[in-house]
Amino acid sequence: MARYLAGRAAGVVVILLLVCLFTFVIFFTLSPDPAVMICGKTCTPERIHQIRDALGLNEPFLTQFFSFLIGIFAGRDYGEGANLVHCAAPCLGYSFQTNQSVWDMVVERLPVSATVAIGAAVLWLLVGIAAGLVSAVKEGTWWDRAAMGLALGGSSVPNYVLALALQYVLVVQLQVLPFPQAVAFGDDPVVWFQSYLMPWVVLAAGYACLYARLTRANVIDTLAENFMRTARAKGLSPVLTMRRHALRPALTPIATIFGMDFAALLGGALITETVFGLNGVGKMAADSIAKNDQPVIMAVTLLAAFFVVVGNVVVDLVYTALDPRVRITAR
Amino acid sequence: MTLLRATGLTKRFAARGPLGVKAEFTAVDRVSFDVGPGETLAVVGESGSGKSTTARMIAKLMDPTEGSLEFDGEDVTRAKGAALARFRAGVQVVFQDPFSSLNPRHTVERILTAPLVYQGIAPNGSRRAHAKELMERVGLNPDHSLRYPAQFSGGQAQRIGIARALAVNPKLVICDEAVSALDVSVQAQVIELLRRLQRESGFSFVFIAHDLAVVRQIAHRVAVMSKGRIVELGDTAQVFGDPRDEYTRTLLAAVPRINPEWDRRRRERVQA
Amino acid sequence: MSDLLVVEDLTVTFPTARGPVDVVRSVSFTLGRDETLGIVGESGSGKSMTSLAVMGLLPKGARASGSVRLDGVELLGRPDRELRRLRGDRMSMIFQDPLSSLNPYYTVGLQIEEVYRAHRGGSGKDARKVAIAALQQVGLPDPERRVDYYPHQFSGGQRQRVMIAMALVCSPELLIADEPTTALDVTVQAQILGLLAGLRKDSGMGLVFITHDLAVISSIATRVLVMRQGEQVEYATAEQVFAEPRHDYTRMLLDSIPRIDDPLDEGVTA
Ligand SMILES: Nc1ncnc2c1ncn2[C@@H]1O[C@H](COP(=O)(O)OP(=O)(O)OP(=O)(O)O)[C@@H](O)[C@H]1O
Ligand SMILES: Nc1ncnc2c1ncn2[C@@H]1O[C@H](COP(=O)(O)OP(=O)(O)OP(=O)(O)O)[C@@H](O)[C@H]1O
Ligand SMILES: [Mg+2]
Ligand SMILES: [Mg+2]
Repeated sequence: MARYLAGRAAGVVVILLLVCLFTFVIFFTLSPDPAVMICGKTCTPERIHQIRDALGLNEPFLTQFFSFLIGIFAGRDYGEGANLVHCAAPCLGYSFQTNQSVWDMVVERLPVSATVAIGAAVLWLLVGIAAGLVSAVKEGTWWDRAAMGLALGGSSVPNYVLALALQYVLVVQLQVLPFPQAVAFGDDPVVWFQSYLMPWVVLAAGYACLYARLTRANVIDTLAENFMRTARAKGLSPVLTMRRHALRPALTPIATIFGMDFAALLGGALITETVFGLNGVGKMAADSIAKNDQPVIMAVTLLAAFFVVVGNVVVDLVYTALDPRVRITAR
Repeated sequence: MTLLRATGLTKRFAARGPLGVKAEFTAVDRVSFDVGPGETLAVVGESGSGKSTTARMIAKLMDPTEGSLEFDGEDVTRAKGAALARFRAGVQVVFQDPFSSLNPRHTVERILTAPLVYQGIAPNGSRRAHAKELMERVGLNPDHSLRYPAQFSGGQAQRIGIARALAVNPKLVICDEAVSALDVSVQAQVIELLRRLQRESGFSFVFIAHDLAVVRQIAHRVAVMSKGRIVELGDTAQVFGDPRDEYTRTLLAAVPRINPEWDRRRRERVQA
Repeated sequence: MSDLLVVEDLTVTFPTARGPVDVVRSVSFTLGRDETLGIVGESGSGKSMTSLAVMGLLPKGARASGSVRLDGVELLGRPDRELRRLRGDRMSMIFQDPLSSLNPYYTVGLQIEEVYRAHRGGSGKDARKVAIAALQQVGLPDPERRVDYYPHQFSGGQRQRVMIAMALVCSPELLIADEPTTALDVTVQAQILGLLAGLRKDSGMGLVFITHDLAVISSIATRVLVMRQGEQVEYATAEQVFAEPRHDYTRMLLDSIPRIDDPLDEGVTA
């Protein structure tokens, strides 16, 4: 087991390094010269050269890449003499736009994205699984057909359409919710909740539809298994039969899919955050792309990759814990 | 000439004991045997003695802890990629638990033609015709080719497994209790089919069974297993006629027989 | 006292694309306490469906008609809620395909314990003891440890014995065993048959035993039912069926049994 974990951890590191390299190649060598962008309209060649020097852009590619890596793990210095700036350990550089430390930006925005992701996840798991379960048990009834019809339709409504529609109806027309504001939970829980409610619903809707259909299909397959007949032959109560014998086999595959979906969301929900003006990682990504703020783009890409890759490992571990057949027993 | 040679195959399972201490259990212990082309080797013995585990190892569905495996003159113990694909094309398995080895969401037709698709062989005639022919061979109603496994009885499901194994003309078929759920007349028919295929196409069989009378009919050689080891390996006539090992003798003595008095009376009536 | 199990005119129908199909047609038999009914017959002849109908466990869509009475009480058409109290307690069944009939996600210990707790209540500790004893009873080596194994960690015959242990844990009055010994070697099989015969004698358990092994039937059955294509072709005492079979199909079956003492047809020494 320890060996297995060490192997997986090494795999994660290698993949993340590759992602680093890849994004580095794309953003720092293929896109327009950042020095020109920073310099703005009234620019002289000397000024550009100065900026390039300060950013280390005049170094060869590999040197730049390693400086970047070292920056992440040990911190690095920009510029020299009076202009010297030290960037402490997880150093992802400085935003070209605001000159803020990119790491600080990430730390500041990650909680917002996490709040959006966790709230939405709770919502879509509750709604999706419950709906799928009821549909499976009542397979073929009008409830089943209605719910599944809705789920099918629901998954084809684009996020932003739903977001704008909700905002129009609830905020503008009915005025039951305020326009989302950046409020911390500790400051005003009610406004906090009201602000996040719509993002949660919007983000959860698509997933809930998907999860309802997945749950239904898995539960129906499980109910047809021979071991369900055994459970009935034992005279167990229907609740126990369902809870113990049907749910665990049916939901285990869903747990793994959920892990991946959730991990991907931690890297930011681009559309939802932008539409509702939430200052999360997703919005940061959108803004940085719009303004070609390369250090920030790098950071968001890396962050997303980090969550997906680590999420993958966690999912595998959870799966081995949930399904005894794949537990690592052989040496 | 040998088709398959197993040398010193060993399988140890690690079981998690209390406090996470690992206890090891040796399910198969240094088992060696070979199977010639066109030969049937039967494996009989105690329940839990490691027959299915041995079968899984020689089918390369499980890696041995120790020991090596040769197929068609090639060491396949660590075979991967093309070598493994070649091995898979040559070896088919009929599993002990029929329903667990058939995909419940596929129709019989799909189950029977899947091996052809994987190996890129074009069936003679359409897929459907091919599936129906296979079904007929094992005594199943070909009109049921679009049914799902759950719609068959235990013995019928077992025959689907047999038909699937025969679909690709393998060199070696490993049958793990492949005829145990069949009534005696269908069983006789299936056994006759297996023997005919052996005569015509030179298949080899590793035939795991508990029914010693059946084993005696179809095996050329017999291996008797007990507690993970082969305790006796010899020609069928020798093992049944002149068993050397104590366990083999116990086994043969315990074979249930029809009440001889009733049997005698029936034969007399038939003759009369 | 009435007979333990009376089945009259039992018919099982499946709806199919080509209209309803009867997979069991007008089957009738009676089983007294302390008796063993052997059911033999063609593969696919409806043996398993007959037993599932008795237990009220037919697959979705299948319908049973006729009459099934346990101890004088009609079971067909009873709500599941009432049958539930009988299943696993007064009547239980050993299924044909043990691997798929056990839940891969739980230890066999838990799967045995839950039957006991559903009907007898009691603490987890008691149930565990009962489970270990049940595994011991069916001759599983090292039951204290194996009780915590998952189904895939057992051999085919060991799983079959787990199924048997599970069915016996509440000492049922009626036990339906669908090919319970196909994966057992003959010595363990003899041990299990001895166990079942003992329960029959000691506690008057009625046993329905389905198998293709006619030798086994001849050694344990008091009566024999021969089935073919959903119909009952012969129903008589074991002695009659084996010594004076009346139906051609029965004769054909008896003639096709491979026998361990027969001379071999290819001229190899016997
Ligand atoms: N995954 C596993 N983990 C631990 N033990 C296992 C595992 N698989 C099999 N075993 C053990 O290995 C032994 C041999 O099992 P195997 O299935 O090979 O027996 P078998 O000879 O086929 O018996 P049967 O005739 O009952 O099918 C058994 O005692 C079984 O409990
Ligand atoms: N869901 C289903 N739909 C239609 N027919 C079915 C379905 N399930 C089973 N059958 C048919 O019912 C018949 C009886 O099946 P059953 O399982 O009772 O046979 P069996 O006598 O137990 O046979 P075996 O000895 O092979 O286990 C079979 O011919 C089978 O094809
Ligand atoms: Mg086995
Ligand atoms: Mg059956």
